[in-house]
Amino acid sequence: MKPVRLLKGWVRRLLATRFLALLRKEIQQILRDRQLIKLLLIPPTIQLLVYGFALNPDVRFLPLGVVDEVHGASSRELISALTENQVFVDSARPGSERELARKVERGELTAGLVIPPDFRRRIAQGRTAEVQVFIDGVDANSAGIANGYIQQILRRFRPAGSPATPRPPPVTAAVTFLYNPGLRSSWFFVPGVMGLVLTLIASLVSAVALVREKDTGTLEQLLMTPASAWEILLAKIAPLFVLLQVDVALALVLGRTVFGLPFRGQLPLFLLLSGLYVFVGIGIGILLATVCRSQQQVLLTAFFINLPLVQTSGAIAPIESMPAFFRGLSLLNPLRHYITIVRGMQLKGVGLETLWPHALTLAIMAMALMAFSVSRFRSQLS
Amino acid sequence: MRSRVRAQCSKELLQFRRDRLTLGLAFLLPLLSLLILGFAIRLETKHIPIVVQDLDRSHLSYAFTDRLFATDQFHPSRWRGTDPVAAIDRGSARAAVIIPPDFSRRLKAGKPSSVQVLVDGTDANNARVIRNSFQATTEFFLRDQDLIDATQPVRARIRLWFNPGRKESLYIVPGVYAVVLWIFPSLLAAIAMVREKEKQTILQVYASGIGPGELLLGKGLAYLLVGGAMALVVMGLGSLIFGVGFAGDPTPLLVGTTLYLASAVSFGLLLGARSATQNAAVQGVSLIGFLTALLLSGFIYPVSNIPFPLSLVSAIVPARYFILISRDAYVRGTGWPGVAFDVLVVLVGAVVLFVAARRSLGAMQLDAGAGR
Repeated sequence: MKPVRLLKGWVRRLLATRFLALLRKEIQQILRDRQLIKLLLIPPTIQLLVYGFALNPDVRFLPLGVVDEVHGASSRELISALTENQVFVDSARPGSERELARKVERGELTAGLVIPPDFRRRIAQGRTAEVQVFIDGVDANSAGIANGYIQQILRRFRPAGSPATPRPPPVTAAVTFLYNPGLRSSWFFVPGVMGLVLTLIASLVSAVALVREKDTGTLEQLLMTPASAWEILLAKIAPLFVLLQVDVALALVLGRTVFGLPFRGQLPLFLLLSGLYVFVGIGIGILLATVCRSQQQVLLTAFFINLPLVQTSGAIAPIESMPAFFRGLSLLNPLRHYITIVRGMQLKGVGLETLWPHALTLAIMAMALMAFSVSRFRSQLS
Repeated sequence: MRSRVRAQCSKELLQFRRDRLTLGLAFLLPLLSLLILGFAIRLETKHIPIVVQDLDRSHLSYAFTDRLFATDQFHPSRWRGTDPVAAIDRGSARAAVIIPPDFSRRLKAGKPSSVQVLVDGTDANNARVIRNSFQATTEFFLRDQDLIDATQPVRARIRLWFNPGRKESLYIVPGVYAVVLWIFPSLLAAIAMVREKEKQTILQVYASGIGPGELLLGKGLAYLLVGGAMALVVMGLGSLIFGVGFAGDPTPLLVGTTLYLASAVSFGLLLGARSATQNAAVQGVSLIGFLTALLLSGFIYPVSNIPFPLSLVSAIVPARYFILISRDAYVRGTGWPGVAFDVLVVLVGAVVLFVAARRSLGAMQLDAGAGR
């Protein structure tokens, strides 16, 4: 009987503290704000799904037009060799070279192949036959891949009538794909988008929560209470932190159920590091809130920060392909480190033993951002 | 009616000009996006760090390693220890090549040998490119060493049209125009629209006797002008910085850009009229804007790769058609015969979006009236 009363008294005292009163106010405010709950659930879901499904870098099913002036077995063999792997699809047989050229020019066909009349004769005589290929170079990357592919096929192509007999090459490269043997591109994009979504939401939600108090003048009222700046901020951050962790879980579950993404690392460590990253995002948000005076300004400056963060993080375009300057710059980008951690833990199943540099960087960034933004927050109020 | 639209338009521009930070950001943000998207997005796989574990250390295995690093595709990553997979785990190498100890012995004896290649499959696209380059490199090596028959019965004379040097900026930059000129004009228009509602000034507007259509036209016109200025700055500087010039008749681009801006602004007005707060409006515009203009438009990867239900959405994204217009003007140069259809689609998009905005504003007026 006695310990229960003691506990009751202790809980009552705890709830009576300033911090908890503030915390309760924030939680009530959030629970009443349907818009916020929607914001935390709907955009991340849509983003994860669309990025995961729509971003597909496969170079396949490129429409190929053929002008075959031979109409023989050897030319048919060449066409089927080129279309066998589904990189090219034999999709048009224009009547003349000029019509073929016009179609490639307009972008209706990605590549055009012209097999000249002397093709069969030259092959039968064992001489080298030459075909003409045009490739639409507008998409430089696909064009490069298509080009390499055609050359690779032709190097191996041995028509039935030619005297040269094929022999298996003495050296083969036995390629094994680690971590993602099915080469599913969503496995690359989904962890990246998870980091992207967390950055966008964490910074925006925390910035708006603070600026709204400033906008409506209730911040001054809060400050007139005996609570310190730390208490006010902490009470604001704590419920957001919990809600953002829900987003982390949401992303994991979606990745798992929709895209079959494995999770090979240690879950508690992952949640811990994600929490660290959420702090970075919230820190960015508070910083924005101290710079801006209205919601409109916060929303626009959030764009200003988030766009470069996302684009230099390797979430969409791989970091190795970037110019050297951006590759260097990306080392300062917390999102890059977080995405490395997510990919490492989800796909590779590695732990702190290899990820510690990234975790350390995140920890330092989180602390620096929080300390800086809190001190700015305090100074702008006095 | 005309004077009321004009008055609304000039009031809007005045308000826009007064907020310095917004004004600055309205021009800085598109430029920043242009620079970052234009410079940082590169798709071609180059400078891939790899590690080589040569267990043979013979003349032939050295020749094989040299062949690997002969192009700028791969570069050696420093590596210590005995397990090359650790380097891939750590992320300091994307692939590991293991040359077996009996490599040269087997080759000299005329027996086939196999080089083991472990590729980091995390980035599936990169992994595929790495595999293809390994196979090509192996073939080059065999030719160099006269280990296979180098004659080739069929050769191709390949010409890359429009972009023989395979400059990736020619592909990316005209697409960036579509992304930037969609997101920012619609963002500004949406904020301008929803602000009236949030601050309740919309009631004053209704009391003033201006009709909803006139209000939308006035606001739309103001942001169309702002968008036009943005387009001039972004496209002008983009052409200078990235060295992208007109390839053909620029009039389709001129008409297309105006219509495209009109549809972006109408889209912003529509979302502004439908959302309750600025935050919600900006979230909506940026979410839908980025998803459609960046992902479903063919800006990065071909639209033909988008799978079925999403491909339907992609078919009605104006950015998809504007990208075709823009790439035609800057790279292809076929002019009106090539892109007349795309210009038409953008026009239809602008009309549909404006009508939708007009409708939801009517509904909003009823709401406001009922609330009084």
